[in-house]
Amino acid sequence: MAIELFALSLAASTLLTIGLVLLSILAIATLARSVRRIGKTMAFSLVFAAFIFAVNLVFGLGVQRSIDYALRFLAIISSTSLFFVTTSPDELEQIMKWMRVPRDVVFAFVTAVRFIPVVMLDAFQIMDAQKSRGLELERGSPLTRIRNTVPVLIPLVVNSVIRSGELAEAMESRGYGSTPHPTSLYGMRLRWYDRVVLVVSLAVFALALYIYHFQSFPLL
Amino acid sequence: MTFVHQNGVTALSDVSLSIEKDELVGIVGENGAGKTTLVKHINGLLKPRKGTVRVDGSDTRDVSTARLARSVGIAFQNPDHQLFSDSVESEITFALKNFGFEPSLIQKRLDWALGFFGLEEYRKSSPLILSGGEKKRLTLASILAWDPEVVVLDEPTVGQDAIQKEKLAEIVRMLHAAGKTIILVSHDVEFLWTLQPRLLVMKRGRVVGDGPCAEVMHDRPLLEGARVCQPQLVQLYDELAARPARPFLDVSEARAWIARDGEGTMRTRKGGS
Amino acid sequence: MAKNNPTTPLLRVQDLSFRYVETPRWAVDGVSLDVEEGTITVLAGQSGCGKSTLLRCMNGLIPHMYPGEYTGSVALDGSPVGSTRMGDLAQRVGLLFQNPENQIFMFSVERDIAFGLENLGLPRAEIRERVDEAMRLLGIEPLALRAPHELSDGQKQRVALAGVIAMRPRLIILDEPTSLLDPQTASELVSLVSSLRSRLGITFVIVEHRLELLTPIADKIVVMDRGRKVMEGTPSQVLTDPAARGHGIAVPPVSMLYADLRRDGVALPRVPATPRDLADEVNAL
Repeated sequence: MAIELFALSLAASTLLTIGLVLLSILAIATLARSVRRIGKTMAFSLVFAAFIFAVNLVFGLGVQRSIDYALRFLAIISSTSLFFVTTSPDELEQIMKWMRVPRDVVFAFVTAVRFIPVVMLDAFQIMDAQKSRGLELERGSPLTRIRNTVPVLIPLVVNSVIRSGELAEAMESRGYGSTPHPTSLYGMRLRWYDRVVLVVSLAVFALALYIYHFQSFPLL
Repeated sequence: MTFVHQNGVTALSDVSLSIEKDELVGIVGENGAGKTTLVKHINGLLKPRKGTVRVDGSDTRDVSTARLARSVGIAFQNPDHQLFSDSVESEITFALKNFGFEPSLIQKRLDWALGFFGLEEYRKSSPLILSGGEKKRLTLASILAWDPEVVVLDEPTVGQDAIQKEKLAEIVRMLHAAGKTIILVSHDVEFLWTLQPRLLVMKRGRVVGDGPCAEVMHDRPLLEGARVCQPQLVQLYDELAARPARPFLDVSEARAWIARDGEGTMRTRKGGS
Repeated sequence: MAKNNPTTPLLRVQDLSFRYVETPRWAVDGVSLDVEEGTITVLAGQSGCGKSTLLRCMNGLIPHMYPGEYTGSVALDGSPVGSTRMGDLAQRVGLLFQNPENQIFMFSVERDIAFGLENLGLPRAEIRERVDEAMRLLGIEPLALRAPHELSDGQKQRVALAGVIAMRPRLIILDEPTSLLDPQTASELVSLVSSLRSRLGITFVIVEHRLELLTPIADKIVVMDRGRKVMEGTPSQVLTDPAARGHGIAVPPVSMLYADLRRDGVALPRVPATPRDLADEVNAL
């Protein structure tokens, strides 16, 4: 768990070109199991990274700088996705609670994530229904195609509103909000190896910052 | 008219059947048996992995759903997956415009649909304020407005009360009498029993039963295997010691038979039961 | 479940009338009803008759969540619903909704079952115990860590019911619980309700259109029409009454047949609950 936070915070403040690449690789290596998914995100963001590179180059910022920016972008994206891929929604919820995020906000977040697959299914069913009425979703000019998403988006939104109403009833009926401090079935457990990783990664992080701060590398 | 032969990977296997014009067909089976999947092949929403689906002679793979839908109308179970316009009026004309109907024809069809389904008073209202039953009527209205030859209803009776179901059965009969091919996917065996369609029983992606309603519903092992309930009158028929040649089609038939037989037996029984 | 003073019904609705804000029509119009502990009551009637509104008056959503004009009273165990907090009400009466999907909030089954208990601020050990108990009662232990979208509709209804049972209410209300289920799954849910009543003494009020599923287990049927209570009695009484059809309820063929036969002079000894019952009686003639 700690690792992910670490990776995220690192990427956000990274400015070293080499450091960037190194850390990205490090982060990925640590979670060998998620390499494929991260790889996909990286490949996807590579397009944008290349775009950034090109734009910077065109505006005369020099090759090295352009690479810097492109790589930094890549690292930020990858580490963010790394964070979300490796952290389960339950853990995210625990983190949010630990950060003292208000109960209602946490709940809204949890519920939203829980309903993602449901909303997706709804979307497919809506598309089926509208296609069956002659709605063309695959052909036509870009403008037409955008206009044609309206009969899909509106029912989706309406359904979400209806859903919220039903959820609200269910929540009330199960006593939501009856105490200001609800308890919880699960707790956040920090095991010994979690602590080790936390300490080590913080140390590395501190070191990296030190290096960056006190050695003037040609950068940004 | 519709010839279906397909072999999907998970949802459907080895389904081969043909549905003629003017047929009234019912499809039963538990949730997940593949009923909706099957039906989505008819208007091209799904294309078969193996085999072909032919509607009116053309292979569904060669035609887009938008075009096939002109002759095959499917009313899905949840009206909230479909209603989106500002008014009932534009909801009904949506499909007509998509299919390129002429404005004068659109007007005629709109007026007809509103009248036939009793929605005239809501012409300018938003579809979202209608009750559940009215929304279902509106869904049907917007599909029948373009007069497809094949009408497919996916679970039309869910959440409907008795009166609404009777009206629905009437509408189905009327449409059938008008020469349409009608396919009903439904759990509601009592509803289907009153209509006596050709019945297809599905189980785990296969068609395991196909025949006249009275015959198929009578086959208890088949229905139990497919987790389909028998209509009450059929269950009754099965348990009666003395019974006519085929199951009762409605309560009055059952009443006539039992009263006659009952009286006959009662008359001869001395000492009462 | 300790029984209350035997003369006071668990739920007493007295002259209840309610209409939502800015609505001229009374959704519930002068309804009085007693629900005895340990019974199963079915609430029937055509769409718009007020049954869903009445349910929400019973568990407190009306008036706490839905304001409007409210006259008369609903008393649960003697205490009026209007002046009891939702948190307390939730421990006495549970409500199971029609759509299995929209009453499960959490990523995992056991987390969702714990939801109500967490809201009450119960200690973790007790939450754990109650969650396990609820899962056992509904036979869903293997599903404990699964995500809701992986479950079938019937399983989702069980999970939702477990979440309600964990609150240990004495009364559970179900709003058309089977309408989105196929008949087999529906009848399994009904058996479950019946066994919960026998094992735990929980009282049930069920709104349902599919009366043939419930007639074997219901103690009482109440019919509503346009906000009023129009019929009340045992299933035998109500379903064989010719007025029933006039109120738009779906009388099962077997009950209709029994009533018709009686009019013809064929007197069967008992009112049949199922086709088999009817056949047995006819065969015995």
